[in-house]
Amino acid sequence: MKKIKLLIVDDEENIRILFKEELEDEGYEVETASNGFTALEKFRKGTFDLIVLDIKMPGMDGIQVLNEIKNINKDQPVILCSAYGEFKQDFSSWVSDEYVVKSADTGELKQTIKNILSL
Amino acid sequence: MNPIELFGKIIEISHSNLEISSRIKSILNIISQDLHYEEVMAYTLDQDKRLTCRYLNDRSTLFPILNKYRCRVGEGIAGGVAQKRAPQHFTSRDIPPRFGCLFYPELDGQIERFKSFAFLPLSDDSYLYGVLVAISTREAIQDSEKILLSMLSREIGGILRTYSLIIESKKRISELATLSELGRVLASDVEPEELLKNIALIVAKALSAQFVTIKLEYPFLRIGSQRFTNGTIEPLMMQYVNEMEIESIKNKRSMSLKDHISEAEEGHLRFSLHTSPMMSKNRIIGAITMGASKAQYFIAEEDGRSLINTISNYMSNGLENTLLNRRLRDVVRELNDAQKRLIEQEKLKSLGEMTANIAHEIKNPLVIIGGFAKRLAKKTHLDQTENRYIDIILKEVTRLESILNEVLNYVKEGPTLTGACDINSCIDEIISLFAPDSTWKDIKIEKMFDNKLDPVICDSQQIKQVFINILMNAFEAMDGRGTIEVKTEQSVVNGKMFMSAAISDTGGGIDPSIMENIFNPFFTTKEKGTGLGLAISNKIVTNNNGRLEIKNMVGKGATFIVYLPLENKTGEGFV
Repeated sequence: MKKIKLLIVDDEENIRILFKEELEDEGYEVETASNGFTALEKFRKGTFDLIVLDIKMPGMDGIQVLNEIKNINKDQPVILCSAYGEFKQDFSSWVSDEYVVKSADTGELKQTIKNILSL
Repeated sequence: MNPIELFGKIIEISHSNLEISSRIKSILNIISQDLHYEEVMAYTLDQDKRLTCRYLNDRSTLFPILNKYRCRVGEGIAGGVAQKRAPQHFTSRDIPPRFGCLFYPELDGQIERFKSFAFLPLSDDSYLYGVLVAISTREAIQDSEKILLSMLSREIGGILRTYSLIIESKKRISELATLSELGRVLASDVEPEELLKNIALIVAKALSAQFVTIKLEYPFLRIGSQRFTNGTIEPLMMQYVNEMEIESIKNKRSMSLKDHISEAEEGHLRFSLHTSPMMSKNRIIGAITMGASKAQYFIAEEDGRSLINTISNYMSNGLENTLLNRRLRDVVRELNDAQKRLIEQEKLKSLGEMTANIAHEIKNPLVIIGGFAKRLAKKTHLDQTENRYIDIILKEVTRLESILNEVLNYVKEGPTLTGACDINSCIDEIISLFAPDSTWKDIKIEKMFDNKLDPVICDSQQIKQVFINILMNAFEAMDGRGTIEVKTEQSVVNGKMFMSAAISDTGGGIDPSIMENIFNPFFTTKEKGTGLGLAISNKIVTNNNGRLEIKNMVGKGATFIVYLPLENKTGEGFV
């Protein structure tokens, strides 16, 4: 069976490593991108079952990336992930499929991914 | 008695300290005895300019008849003498004596035995004070006696003049005393309501008025129509007062109603009123009205009126100054408060922004530390010590994360989910959360809810947080033992309707030295507190257009009062 493919977008290298390792442990195939441009590039080239987007990033922030992605493919599942919940009230974040507040406990993120992919 | 001796005696009497009536009576007796007049009487001018027979010699028999009658200047013999200021001497053969304007029938059979009559004006160069009447049974009166009599009448005039000057100056002194008392009151540091009450009292006392009422209408200072009254005004009189005030304010003139009789179902009422407009720098600030029953019609007399007008002028200027000062002081205080609040808000805002940035910067490394520690924990080859260390790291990370969440909650702006919230059931819900907890078993919770309380438009989740914070603080202040009183009610603050929920504890109150810092973020007296509970609560309540107040009773307990607006449609709350 083909592995489920995820894209993690975050400007913090160690967050990328943490999420990648944690999610690979769950059996996913994980790619990473360190900024919005790279993320969009990878999104256009390949297909991902789900994209996890950090919001606060230099250059192009997660909300902009989210809008670009949804413009190209409105059915692309995306999870917004941020250090705290300040963007929950932002209308533009509502187009994402879910919103997760970053935590040392990655349990919530993992569960959200499962829910979206209906696993 | 020779004239020198006579004058010696008269001068002695007129310069004595005797009462005015005794002095005049003594002189009348001397005239009677030494100049042989059986009847010697003095008419004096009353307030209403009528001559009244007021003083008599000891053996007078006509006085009881004559003192009943009063005559105007110009009427009868006495009135004629008063008008012309020239003495008149005549005998019974000249004309039938008429003392006033009428022939007094009571004098029939009394007057026939007298043969000569003398009427002399009691006056000085400028004023007329009365008329001296001397009646004798002797037929022939010598010219020298007439001269003597006229000199004595001048002396009596002098006494009356001195007396009237004394009365006049006493009145002026009392006016000055009233004005100075008014000045003292105007300069005193009391609230305008108290000030106006004091003024009404002083004026009522000075004029012995039945009531004094001040109507203040001062659009310049945005003071609505107000009334301050000393004494009681009968409802019937009030109609007249209202009408006179309106007229007086409209025409900028005083108005009087003298000895008015008003017929009503309840019986008739007899009274006098006087209204003066209160003007300051040509601006009307209201009207002052004095009223009295018939007996005290001084109010509407000229003297009384001039005093009232003087007082009114003096008072109006002073009052306006006082009101302006008060207003200025209030405005300055309001400005100061507003400035203080602005500075405070700015401070908190920049503190909030800084905090948000720092928290954000810390959050990521924290996620990384905690995340990898968790991954480490999954490794199977770790020994017990290593596992314990990892546990400690994770616990601390969790603690830091929860502090960060609180901080970020604090800096979050504005209410988010507003809806109608029943505060009573909101508080009930929280209490039912705490109550089953065994640590709360020694806490007595007394609820005094206003069951008619309207729902409050607010973010109910946030408001719950506020009550939880306050209740937890109360609990901790009392070391888990005591009484918490929760009281909700509707209250009016600055003319607006508010819901107030007061939570009182018996935890000994708050150290006054820390009261100033109590709402500052990160200020705490608790060993494990973040210093955000009250800061967040205050911010939530403020964001919901309310106010959080503390009533601190050192040694007893503290009361936290949450005010939330009940009419929040305009978004206007505490300003």
